[in-house]
Amino acid sequence: MFGKKKTETKRPVGQADIDACLAKAVAQGDMVNLKFAFTPNSPLRDESPEVLDTAKYAYLRPSDADRGGAYDQALALVSRPEIQQHHVTQLKAKRPAQLHADVVMALADNAVRLEKFTVAAQAYEMLRIRERMREEYAAQAEAALDQGDLNTAVRGFRIATGLSYDYAAFPEPMPLVPNYQSRALMLHAIYPKRPEDSIALLPPERQIPAALNYLLLDPELAARLREKPADVLVNFIAEYVRQRDPQWDEFVKRYREACEIVRDIGEKMKGIADQKQEQGAKLREEIALQELGVDPKEVPAKLLGRSIEPGDWWQYLKDLVYQHPASVLFVTRQMVTRDIEIVMPRFYQNAPLGRALGLFD
Amino acid sequence: MTDDGYIDYFATLGLDASANPGEVKNHYRKRMKALVNEIASTALTPAKQEAYLLQIAEMNAAFYILRDEERRQKYESDRAGTIALEEEWRAAVESGSEKSDNLRRQYEGALKHFLAAYMEEYVLEAGRDKECVENSHWDPSHERHASRVLRHHRQRLYQKIHERLPYYEITPPTINWDERARVVASTLAAKG
Repeated sequence: MFGKKKTETKRPVGQADIDACLAKAVAQGDMVNLKFAFTPNSPLRDESPEVLDTAKYAYLRPSDADRGGAYDQALALVSRPEIQQHHVTQLKAKRPAQLHADVVMALADNAVRLEKFTVAAQAYEMLRIRERMREEYAAQAEAALDQGDLNTAVRGFRIATGLSYDYAAFPEPMPLVPNYQSRALMLHAIYPKRPEDSIALLPPERQIPAALNYLLLDPELAARLREKPADVLVNFIAEYVRQRDPQWDEFVKRYREACEIVRDIGEKMKGIADQKQEQGAKLREEIALQELGVDPKEVPAKLLGRSIEPGDWWQYLKDLVYQHPASVLFVTRQMVTRDIEIVMPRFYQNAPLGRALGLFD
Repeated sequence: MTDDGYIDYFATLGLDASANPGEVKNHYRKRMKALVNEIASTALTPAKQEAYLLQIAEMNAAFYILRDEERRQKYESDRAGTIALEEEWRAAVESGSEKSDNLRRQYEGALKHFLAAYMEEYVLEAGRDKECVENSHWDPSHERHASRVLRHHRQRLYQKIHERLPYYEITPPTINWDERARVVASTLAAKG
């Protein structure tokens, strides 16, 4: 009655299954799954109670859609006899596993291809070649830029940026992440007392370097580009913005529509803003606002595609940047009355950057 | 044996390990005065500013630690202990000893402690020391900037040491840089 429960013995995991799971992780640039394969409770270990042939671990096994191309190459790599032998040893050892360098290298290269830059940076860091790989990408990208190949140049600098590390991060250095939401707030933290203080109205010789610093994230890479001719940089930034933000044209459409509203009410709005310091201006502001005929808050609503609570300019910018990282380079904060502050499009005629990005004709 | 990367405060002040407190003081004052004069006559770029800030911070820390017998002994023993642990770990890896993983963990802990204490905590503490403030004109605004610069420098030192250590997470790689350059070129061309 109280006899021992019969336990099923786990069927040993076949080498083909091990290779297939590892190849999938390598092909997909998935460091988490690769490391998991060697943890004590990995289903690939014979002594682990976890069973690979269950729905729970289906994600480790390649599907039909995964096969071909990068997967086949990864499978050929992990099936090499010396690498197979290494994996067998690691899966039997009762200590932290040592990954095979060739496998980590292939995983890193695939991660770059798939634009999983954080994984790629960490894998190259394990191989201790991250800085040199970053330099190699930057050097080839710079050469492409010098030859007028914008597409390759931008892609190269995007990868180089992705492989950069933030050494001032706390408590340990970590891959540089595209923290545009924080950076956008820094750009607009101080209210522009004069219109020309706004990033959107800076002259090209100041706006272009500021845009490079903001977009490239890595000051070393931005400094490397600053020496190039202005027209090259304008085209580079335009291509960079479009590669990073495939929905950019959607923003262009909304920006132009917002400009239309500003064009209609801009002068009247300026009048309200000018008189706001005077005594008794509150009532006049209210009347002037009614006379505008258009609610100024429609401008930011049009720009973002939806409205946001008044006064939350910082939240507005974060939302805008989340959708279109480069958008904050072409807008400015504007007080309409003492209580209403909006974010609106701003540009000056012939501004090369805005024109190259199609924001105006 | 290499002690490269483990900050040597005797070298910072141009002293040997037998220097007495009087010599520490003289060297510190002389060097700090020269540095302050050099800074006063130099056009400062952001990069130079950071480099000078680091130099001042290191000299202050060297003086603050080496002039006090207790701090000096602790610094010397922490430094020697960390270097010895590195050696021990290396030897264990070379001999394939089972202890190597434990030694690595011990060493990692000791290294992080050493760099955090002597490249950040004591350095900031030195910046509030009356004598250091008098000689280096260090003030709270320096400290605000220095925190970031020091952390950056500390991480760089860690990287520098890390570069020469045995591989433990992965097998030692063989890197063919011509092949790497071709991989980079093909990755860039793939989306062209």
